[in-house]
This record gives sequence, C-alpha cells and structure tokens, in this order.
Amino acid sequence: MLGACLAVRDDCPNRFYQIDRDMKQSESQSESTQSLPAQAPGDRLTQAASRQLALYAAIVVIALAAAMFGLNYLASLTSSAAGMSRQAVDVENNIITSYLREEPPQMNSLRSSDAVSSMVMAHVMEGLLRYDENSQLAPGVAERWEQDGSTVTFWLRDDARWSNGEPVTAHDFEFAWKTVLAPATGSQYAFLLYPILNAEAANNGEISTDEIGVEAVDDRTLVVTLETPIAYFDRMVAYMTFMPVNEAFYEQTNGRYGADADQMLYNGPFIMTSWVHGASMQLRKNPYYWDADRIKLDGLNYAHMTSDSNTLQNLFKDGQIAIADLTSEMLEEAMFQRWPLSQFMEGTTFYTEFNHRPDRLTRNLNLRKAMLLVHDPSELVNRVIKLPGYLPAETLFPRWVEGMNGPFREEYPLPPLQRDVEKAREHLQMALDELGLEELPPLVFLSSDTPVARIQSEYYQEVFRRYLGIELLIDRQVFRQRLEKMTAGDFDLVGAGWGPDYNDPLTFADLFASWNLNNRGRYSNPELDAQVRIAQSSLDPQERTDAFGEIHRIIREQVVIMPDYERGYVYVTDPRVKGIVRHVFGAETDFTNAWIDVDAGDDQ
Amino acid sequence: MDQHLKHPTAAVVPTLRPTDFEALGTQSAAPMLVRPSRSYWQDAWQRLKANKRALVSLYLVVGLILFTFAGPLVWRVDPALQDIDQISLAPGADRRALVVEPFAAWNGVTEWAESQGQRGLRVADSPNTQSVRLKWDPVAGAGGYMVYRNIYEPEGRDSLGLPLMQIEGAQNYYEDRLDLQPETYYYSLVPLDGAGQQGNDYQTVTAEVRRVITVDEVIARNLVDDPSALMPGDEVMLAWHPLGTDYLGRDMLARLMAGAQVSLFIGLLAPLLFVSFGVVYGATAGFIGGRLDQLFMRFADFVVALPFLLFMILFQVVFGIGPGESGIIPMMVALVILSWPATARLVRGQILQIREEAYVSAARLLGASNKYLITRHMIPNTLGVILVTLTFAVPTAIFTEAFLSFIGMGVAPPTASWGSMCNEGLKTMLTHPHELIFPAAMISITVLAFNLLGDGLRDALDARMRSSE
Repeated sequence: MLGACLAVRDDCPNRFYQIDRDMKQSESQSESTQSLPAQAPGDRLTQAASRQLALYAAIVVIALAAAMFGLNYLASLTSSAAGMSRQAVDVENNIITSYLREEPPQMNSLRSSDAVSSMVMAHVMEGLLRYDENSQLAPGVAERWEQDGSTVTFWLRDDARWSNGEPVTAHDFEFAWKTVLAPATGSQYAFLLYPILNAEAANNGEISTDEIGVEAVDDRTLVVTLETPIAYFDRMVAYMTFMPVNEAFYEQTNGRYGADADQMLYNGPFIMTSWVHGASMQLRKNPYYWDADRIKLDGLNYAHMTSDSNTLQNLFKDGQIAIADLTSEMLEEAMFQRWPLSQFMEGTTFYTEFNHRPDRLTRNLNLRKAMLLVHDPSELVNRVIKLPGYLPAETLFPRWVEGMNGPFREEYPLPPLQRDVEKAREHLQMALDELGLEELPPLVFLSSDTPVARIQSEYYQEVFRRYLGIELLIDRQVFRQRLEKMTAGDFDLVGAGWGPDYNDPLTFADLFASWNLNNRGRYSNPELDAQVRIAQSSLDPQERTDAFGEIHRIIREQVVIMPDYERGYVYVTDPRVKGIVRHVFGAETDFTNAWIDVDAGDDQ
Repeated sequence: MDQHLKHPTAAVVPTLRPTDFEALGTQSAAPMLVRPSRSYWQDAWQRLKANKRALVSLYLVVGLILFTFAGPLVWRVDPALQDIDQISLAPGADRRALVVEPFAAWNGVTEWAESQGQRGLRVADSPNTQSVRLKWDPVAGAGGYMVYRNIYEPEGRDSLGLPLMQIEGAQNYYEDRLDLQPETYYYSLVPLDGAGQQGNDYQTVTAEVRRVITVDEVIARNLVDDPSALMPGDEVMLAWHPLGTDYLGRDMLARLMAGAQVSLFIGLLAPLLFVSFGVVYGATAGFIGGRLDQLFMRFADFVVALPFLLFMILFQVVFGIGPGESGIIPMMVALVILSWPATARLVRGQILQIREEAYVSAARLLGASNKYLITRHMIPNTLGVILVTLTFAVPTAIFTEAFLSFIGMGVAPPTASWGSMCNEGLKTMLTHPHELIFPAAMISITVLAFNLLGDGLRDALDARMRSSE
C-alpha cells in the first residue's frame, strides 16, 4: 500500500513531462491510431516492436517466478527449523512441535517479566509450587508448606535435582529471592516479593538484602517471614520470579545467566538443548526431574517465533505445529475441516472506566448510572464483537474467581445488566439537573487502536447517541500513548482491561483503591478502601471473601466501571496430541502433561 | 476531356451578347469548400466526443457526482445508523423476520411445548437469532458441561465445532446468543468429570434458527405502518439494504455516498487549489524569467524533494487533531502545500516556450502590452495543459485520501470514507467480502474514470492535433 501510494506520487511530475513529450510525438502517433483504415508503413514496425516487448515481458515474468522458487528453496535450507523435525507430531521420537509468540528477551527467572518467558520457564524450571493439569496449585519442589501468622515454612523434597545432578536446596531459593530484591539486579517484578519482611526496603537500597525475611534453616527447610500476615502468599510462589537459582552456577555465568541454552541450570520437567535466537528452541526431557514418570513427552520443539495469526493457521494446516489460536475468519474452515477446537479463558476482564476526577462530568453518579443502564455487554459481545471465546462481563471479577465453596459470582450475585432506556433517561435528567446543564457536551472516549477496540468504540458512539443523546468523541491512540493519556487523566471514558498477577481475587479487588496507581480514573471511596484493607490484611477466608463481595457490590452500585467482556481464545490442536493444558496463571500453554495418542491420528 | 470542352472559357465563343455580361447571382453550383468555423472549445468537444473511452469516463464522472450529491436526497438513510439485527449482511439476503417479544434472560426452567417430554439434550424454545435455549437432563457424575456449536454435522468427538461455554456445577441449561445467523446449527454437549476434564460421550441436537426482530425494534425502525396491530409471530420485512450492511449493521450504500462526499471534497478542492497556485507561481516565474525564475524554481525543487508521506503525517500531527475531529482539513492543507510544484514546473515550461514563439514576438513588435500577451496568447495556449493537469491531479488526490484514511489518518468515526471503509472491510475480507469490494470498486472506478477522462482531454485539447483531422 505504502509503495503504491509513493509510486503514484512519484509519478506526478514525470507524468506531466510525459504529456509534453507525447505532444511532440503526437503527430505521428495520432495518425497511426486515428486513421486505422489506411495502414501507415510505420505500423509494421510498431507491431514488431510490441511483439518484442511481449516477449521481453514473458521472459521477465518467468525469470521472476524462477527467482522466487529459488529463493524459497534457499530459505528453506537456512530456515530456523533446519535440522529439526518439521512435523507437528513426531511419533517416532515422541516429540511435539509448537511455536512461541515472540523471542523471550531472556530466560533469567530473576529478571523476566513477560508471558512468553514465563511459559518456557514453566517447562524447564520448577518453583516451590506448580500448577497441575487442572490448573490447581500442586506441590513442586516443596513437599508441603504451612503458614503460621506471618511465618510461612516450606519443606523441600529430597529428590529434587538440578540438571547437573546436584540437589535443589532451600539455599537456592534464598539466594534467588535475595538476588531478585537486590537493587543491582533491577528486576521489574521485584515488587511481587514485597509481602516478605524488609523486601521493599532492601529493594530500594535502604537496608542490606541480608535482612530480608527469607532464610534457609537447613538444606530442606525454607522459612519466610512476611511483613504482615497475608492469606495468598503460597499462591504467589508458583510465579517465575520465585523460582530457584543455583548460586555456584549463577556466579560462573558472569552475568550471562539465562542468555543461552547452556547458560542455565534446569530443575523442571524439560531442559533446553538449543536456543537459536529469534528462531527456535529445543526442549528435551530432563532425566533428573524428580517426577520424571509424569512427563510422557520426550521433547518439545518451539520451531517458530511469530504471532501472526495467519502464519500460524497456515503452519497448522501444513501440519507443522500442533496448536494454534483461531481468528473468526478461520472458524468456518476449521469447522469444515473438522478440527478439534477448544476454548480457553485468559482470565482478563475488559471494561470501560470512567474518569472520576473532580473536573469531569463523569464524576456525576447519575450520569454514570444512566450510561450503565443502556449498556448491554451481551449485545456487545454476541452481536458486535462476535469473536469466539469472548464472553460478556458482568463485573470486574472474571468467572474463574472462586468464593468460599464455589464460583465467587454465585455466592455474591448481582442483578443482571439489563438495558432500561426509560430509567436511564430519568437518571440522565437527574444528572443534568445536578450539573445545571441543559444539554450534555460531548464526552471523550479514549480507545486503543486494536480491531476489537475500534468496533467497540463505534458501537458505543451509536448506543449512547441513540438512547441518551450523548455524543462520544473517539480518541484512538496506540497502546503507549493511551497509557500516557490514561495516567494524565485526559479522558472521560476509557476502554481498559486488567489481567491477574497472582491467583487471588485481590489482584482485581485493590484496583480501585484510592492509592492504586492503576486506578486511572482516580476513583476514591473510603468505604471501598476500608474493604480493600480488610482483604489485604485478614487471614480469615470468610472475612476476606465477604470483603471481596462488598467491593464487588460497591463497584456496581457506584458504577465505577462498565464491564465489557472477558477475553478468551478458541484454539485448534492436533488430534493426536492430548493433554495440552492452558492456564490463567503459569504457562499459558502447558505441554508438561501432554502425550501423543497414535491411534487418534489414523483417521487423519 | 468532356469537362474541358464544356467549359465556357475553353469553348470558342463566336459572338458576345449583353446577357453574357450579367451577374451570375448566388446560385453557384460549386460546393462550399469552407469548413464550418469552430472555436477551440467546440473543436475540443468534437474530438472528445469521438473518443469513446473518454466519453464513457465523462459519463462515469457525471454519474459519480450525481451519486455523491443527489444520491443522499434519494436514499435517505443515516450512514451512521447501526442496525444490530442486520450486521454484515450481504446484498440480497433474505429480509423476512418474525416479530418476537424483547429479549429477557432465561432462567432455564420454562420449556417449549415442542420439547416437552423429550429426553437428553434438547432445544427448549423456538430457536431464533435472538437466542437458542438448550436444556438437558443432568448426566450422572458430571461435574460440569461443555457446550459446542457447529455449522456442519459432527462426525465424532473431535469435530463438535466451536466450544461455546464451559459450564461448572449442576446447571443444566445454556442460552446461546453468539452471532446467530438464520441457518442450521448442531449443538453438542460433553459432560465433564469431577476434575473438569472432558469425557468422550456427547449428545447432539439440531436447531434451525429463524431470523427475528423485537416489537420495539420494529417500531423504532419504522418498519410497518401500523405498529399497534403488530403481534408476536407476525412476519415483517427488515429494512432494505441494497448493497448490504457493514460490521455494525450500517447501510453500505449510504456509507458509500457519505464516503464519496469526503473523497470528492478532497479530490476536487485540493487539486483546484494547488493547481491554481502552481499556475500563478509557474507563470510568474516563466513570464518574468531571469533571477526570479531561478529563485522560484529552486524553491519548487526543494518542495518536491520533501518526502511526501512523512510530511503529510507530520503536518497532520502539527495541525493537532483532537479526539473526534476529522483529519480532512489538515490532509487537504498538506496536500496543497506539497503538491503544487509539479503544476508550477509544467506551466513555467509552457510559458517559456510560448514566450519565444514567433507570433508572440510579432505581437510584441506591434506594440502589444504584457496584459494583452497574457490574456491573448499565454492563457489560451496553456489552458489545455492546465486542464489536463487538473484531471490527472484529481485521481491522485482521491487515492491519497483513500490511502491516508486506510492507515487511519483520515476521517473520525462514525464518518465514512472509502479508504477507511476498505480498512474496515479488509478484516472481514474472507467472510463478508462485500464490505471490502464495494468501497474498493468505487475507488478504482473513480480513479480510472478521472485518468481516462484526463487522457481524452489531453488529446482533445492539444491545439497541434487539430490539423490531423
């Protein structure tokens, strides 16, 4: 497209010259074109010339085609997957081939913060706890653990080994956690360890890392002292930032820990045997893994690093990868090909956040109520976005959040969101009276520039115009720009989303606490703050859950946000591969429980 | 020879009579050999008419202008109006719909008369585009269920189609509302075990979905004359969209007309402005000549050297488009600022050439003033070239607008432009091709028509081609 436009532009001056030139030649030309019956002697020449031109054109086309095939062949020789099995499922060697969305910046668990690293890390490393095939916490290196007030004790199993045969000890965890918190490490995710005593101060360089509340009492006992008692510490230690690092090996890598396949020591189900940067990764079964019997695969190849959905779908179609996410475009073909499809909820909620700063109209509760009353997430998701895997959101807390004995939302139900135009107009009138306005000025809707956000913003524009007569101005910005504007408060409404950092409802519940920097609309309500403090400090599960229920209710009643959708994906897997698990936490795509079912492939 | 003999002067006249000296009068038998006098424009028009391609293009351009300006008067549909009931509808789709009550969430208890007594997975209410309600008898030992939907008949456990929803616990109903189209769906149910893993058993049920519309919508959209007589179960015809609808149910025809206004506004006004400026600039340089000419043309070279796209985007940023503001005016200013040098160069060249022509020198010798030279010789002789430039500049400008709108630098939503419509249509190219094809075709036809017309005009207006006929 870019090239085309430039070409047209470049054409302009040339074309004008050409007119000039044509004019000079026009005498002879016009005679030959306009008086066809009387064949001019020049015509034979023209014919010969055009024949020659056609011949040249044909030669050029053939040469180009040949060059393309040649280059394609050369590319395949040097391709990332060269020397690696190009099959999605290698039954003979018991190896599966998959892809990574992008190259992991590093495999250093102390510093990594991205989802792709986290996914690979979950295959090659293991923390104190891990997620099992049902996405539940299961013992990892720690055999059992116990929390007593602000002291958490982990007892490590004695058969956990590094990939060089050395045992994994409590000292490896102590070293790793203290290194994460050392200011020199500069870890972005160090804040996850802040619940530990003195961790924040040590991370800020105020006190020595020796004073951090983590201690290896002996090789197999790790004692963690917390700043204040919190109920969700055990759920955090499965995250990659809490993974162990062998001190002797770390020192020996000279700061290149995790930069290459041989610059790492592994204690997980797999070891990385090769890492071609920007191209591929090879994982093989780790014989030293304490639970090696559980791992049925002998290897896992990440043969492609791309996030382009069309490429991935083509790779899947060609049988080169065993799993791929689908877009709605490919859905019909997927059904036609009778591929086995599965669904995965990412665990994130997307919502429209109001600006609650004092100078904004959206601070008015009745205005927000009016807007919520015409808002219909079900219509938005089912009829406008209509992407497979997306579900209408009802509240800030997504579906996966558990209450005491079942889904949180069933224990603390809210009335369903139902469009009620008449009531909405009443609230709008009240809002106008309170604001002393005859008519509402246009509101600014800050939106990102993804396809879904585009459709959503235009749909909102129509909904609020049609039912309430409110004009929305759409401010479409790229991600970073949008974040900047959100932080500066330069919006009335903004389309936002939130994903969980750890497996506890608090990761959502404290979002609108007045001190939370991610509370971009600066919502401030002492009542909600009080509940957040209870949820943070209480150890009584019932009391905490009740606090979440209260937060849940306040957010709906005060219309802090308008819930939009929960994001999910529909993906296709090779029918021969069973047991792929996708987690909200930990590895997004987990192959540690996968196996190859040879029989299922027969009908393929 | 005969003629020669009959000729009065060639024959020998024996005697001369007085009548021989009378005037012959006007009834001369000799044919008039003079061509009818035609002005330059008449001549050009004749030649344009003879050029079929140019003539067809001219009709297309006229049709386009009618489409743009008279079209919205005839097709009175709001281009921003979203019709959620008819999203991404292809042209000529079936418009019949049943009238139903407004949607209310279902509690899973009530059941349809037709499904009563049925066992297993069943459709619990008349399936329609509003919702498909599924109900099933609880499966012993199931810790939950997975509901699938397919548009092809499932052939086994692996081909159940799109997983719709994982239901936890004992809930034994599900209401599907996801993008329901009036076609046949195959719903399948797979029970989950206690740990949430799917088993190998499944049940399938067929649902033939009918297109429906709620009473409120019928009234709001003014689909029938007498809404009070409307009863649920009646059949109504949905709003007619001759070219279908886009991804938000907006009428494609109305949007194409609205988009044409943007495109033609840019496409006609911007060239008019930059061509006029270029003409004045180039003519001044060419006519005065000397150092001024040098200065003027070096500046024009400088402007030509500016990278067009980069500066276009820079201009747009500098002009500062606020949220919800259209980028059309900055786009036009940028287009004018960056596009005039081509015309200026061309006109300067023409003027330089004409200035040295013999007839101009002759006029000068006869004492013609500069004003006379300009109005009598310079303008008429360059007008053809200028017109041609103008017709070639129009498609370029339209294309630039479409391109910039395509990359999202043009109009603000909900205003449509052909470029932005293409951008939106691209995403659904495989499933709803009409959303891309129509705006793309409009751009192509318009650009081609203007180009061919320009081509024809160039031939027609070239004064030196007059003698060839």
